[in-house]
Amino acid sequence: MINFIRFRLENGLRVIIHEDRSTPLVAMNLLYDVGSKDEDPAMTGLAHMFEHLMYCGSANIPEYDLPLQLAGGENNAFTNNDITNYYLTLPSENIETGFWLESDRMLAPDFTQNKLDIQKSVVIEEFKQRYLNQPYGDVMLLLRPLAYSVHPYRWPTIGMEVSHLENVSLDDVRNFFSSRYTPGNAILTLAGNINTDKAHDLATKWFGSIPGRAAAERSLPSEPAQKGERNLKVEREVPADALYKAWHMGKRISDDFYTLDLLTDLLAGGESGRLYNKLVREKNLFSEINAYITSDIDPGLVILSGKLMKGTDIKDAEKAVNEVIDELKDSSLTERELEKVKNKFESSTVLSNTSILNKAMSLSVYELLGDIHLVNRETERFRAVSKEMVREAAVSYLNPENCTTIFYLSATNK
Amino acid sequence: MTSFRRIQPSVFPINAGMDMPVELVTLNNGVSLYLINAGTEDVMRMEFIFRAGLVRENLPLLSTSTNMMLTEGSEYHSSEELNAILDYYGIFLNLTAEKDIAGLTVYFLNKHIEKALELIKEILFHPVFPEKELNMLMKKRLNWYRINREKVQNIATDQFFESVFGPHHPYGRQIRENDYEMMSPELLKDFHSKFYLPENMTVIISGRIHEKTTDLFGKYFGELYSRESYTEVSANVFKGSSEKKIHLKKKGAIQTAFRIGSSTINKRHPDYTGLKFLNMILGGYFGSRLMKNIREEKGFTYGINSSVSSLDLSGFKVISTEVGKKNAEKAADEIYKEIRLLQTKPVAQEELEVVRNYMSGEMVRMFDGPFALADTFRAVLEYGLDYSYFTRLMNTIMTITPDEILGLAGTYYKIEDLYEITAG
Repeated sequence: MINFIRFRLENGLRVIIHEDRSTPLVAMNLLYDVGSKDEDPAMTGLAHMFEHLMYCGSANIPEYDLPLQLAGGENNAFTNNDITNYYLTLPSENIETGFWLESDRMLAPDFTQNKLDIQKSVVIEEFKQRYLNQPYGDVMLLLRPLAYSVHPYRWPTIGMEVSHLENVSLDDVRNFFSSRYTPGNAILTLAGNINTDKAHDLATKWFGSIPGRAAAERSLPSEPAQKGERNLKVEREVPADALYKAWHMGKRISDDFYTLDLLTDLLAGGESGRLYNKLVREKNLFSEINAYITSDIDPGLVILSGKLMKGTDIKDAEKAVNEVIDELKDSSLTERELEKVKNKFESSTVLSNTSILNKAMSLSVYELLGDIHLVNRETERFRAVSKEMVREAAVSYLNPENCTTIFYLSATNK
Repeated sequence: MTSFRRIQPSVFPINAGMDMPVELVTLNNGVSLYLINAGTEDVMRMEFIFRAGLVRENLPLLSTSTNMMLTEGSEYHSSEELNAILDYYGIFLNLTAEKDIAGLTVYFLNKHIEKALELIKEILFHPVFPEKELNMLMKKRLNWYRINREKVQNIATDQFFESVFGPHHPYGRQIRENDYEMMSPELLKDFHSKFYLPENMTVIISGRIHEKTTDLFGKYFGELYSRESYTEVSANVFKGSSEKKIHLKKKGAIQTAFRIGSSTINKRHPDYTGLKFLNMILGGYFGSRLMKNIREEKGFTYGINSSVSSLDLSGFKVISTEVGKKNAEKAADEIYKEIRLLQTKPVAQEELEVVRNYMSGEMVRMFDGPFALADTFRAVLEYGLDYSYFTRLMNTIMTITPDEILGLAGTYYKIEDLYEITAG
């Protein structure tokens, strides 16, 4: 059970506080409701590059990291399709430095052409390191635009191509800040060794004086239902063939979310999942196979990926995958199997709550989703899923008309 | 905006409490249990440690394969059944085989403690190493190996260890494709019977510890004895390569991976804590000199870091980065420039203070919560050291002088001693 209090400052900033006196630290999480889905299709990758620029100093603080390190703190951040999330931990006696740093860059980050140019090269190197210079690294660059036709989930957070990043100007950066990084678009969460009243006072002191302003309206095109399978075959210099499949699912706040999360765990949760037992252990067709949901706020994807054993024909591999999936559509599921995946979710929820940083992030995300109390009801939601719900979800979502498939073939292995 | 924003709020001295609430319990047969009772959730972690790492193997893959096969079938359950039972009770089990030690770590909800112990006993002491599963594992691993060898950072790392420790020592030996054909159930059984001995097991238990933990350990592990004892042969000698600079060409690569470093002292040496401090300045944190210069000023890379690591029989330090091919030479020049600077110019007081405080904060994180405590404790136990290591480390953090840092940089970062391995 995570206890918390929350309130809103006049400028619109939402604040959540969770006291945990068992730690000498405080975690501070600042979630901005802006992600790569908010980008101009001609300037993809900006939200993530912007995250890098937020570390280049602000109006009153020439450098972000230095004072934080001086106070014994550590920080990081990530950007995804939906959000940009900044977090830090500090020894509790020095937490005010965290308020000072985060509020100053919410007030006025200091952008210059030189800083932009450097972060462009850093992010382009990241693009190369993680997506272009890795075997199978470009698969999301191929899968997303095929699975989505209009919704901005059709490009990955790193961006569609390097040239989009190269073309970003200082004005683009400034506009992005003023229209997206408003107090009303942010959620500040504190978790750890901090008194609620003190946290309240510090939040008011440091963030309360930032003027509120209107954020850009978000109006994203909804993705039309997919009617008919989509297929792509590519050849790359990789040692083994790989198979990727993606099916559209509902949004984050929907009952089917929990059912599909359980379903992917039934299929590929560790070494007792059905796909692993059947296709790796028994038939030896794959060397690894995985399935997961993307957990996006807008309608996301169920993704399956597998690397083939040498000598397996990819058509046979696909057929075998489809057979395992089709078995979920009849009544083969046992209570014990369902109980197994529910128990795993219970364990992982409790484990995750051993970290103040995880608790701070969960609170922020559920607040964004519109129902913060869900943070304590996850296990209950999973417990409510029945065999019949799993069967129905398999029937309605995991069908070929709703599926995008990539045959990612080895050019060297032919 | 108002001037109160101009000045950083007061920074108070960081009080790394460094409490290590460890209780030692010894079972009848000599098994040591270290209990660290802390935390807010009804969850426990247990780490089972054996001196069964790579250093014990006379053939590549033997240590890792023995370890990975522990859950692939026991005298009582098939591999499929074992994994299904573990998952049913929500027990997360990770197998690990490192250079010196091997074993497994489990996390579970307290209510399942008895089931967890019963299964772990079965996995650790009653595995059967079935041939079919072993063949499958070797095929899988060969597939993973081929994928990993496509990555420039792995190519460079593998060569780095070979150059530093020699092609015949287990610390340095590189795996080749045909090694995957050499494993057999007999070899694994032999390795298991020599190195997974109940009496030589160490267990670190952390979390909100279940009141019956010690009793249950007595029941499941307290009466286990080995059939044979094994006296180990002395390990191979290190033989670093005389070739200091090696470039491995990788077709189609768009980045070059660097591994620059050499063997060095380990945690048992009195200079080690100072070397840790020096390493932090060079490339140990986000504000380090290498990060500032090569990422934040030049934009050559997404990341660069340097690390110092201990091994039982040695230690090593390494600077790692991946840079765009056109900037590779410039990046190397800057790396050596930063090392020389540490050898010639005393570190300024401001930077010293930042590193002192950052490392103090890191100490607080190392002692925060049951699982961090367990990791911290293991990191000294493995080297036969005790809590006084952290007192020494804290002392170094607070008192090391610019002259001492100059001295350490001169002694431990001699440029002519460093290997420079590149792949790309």
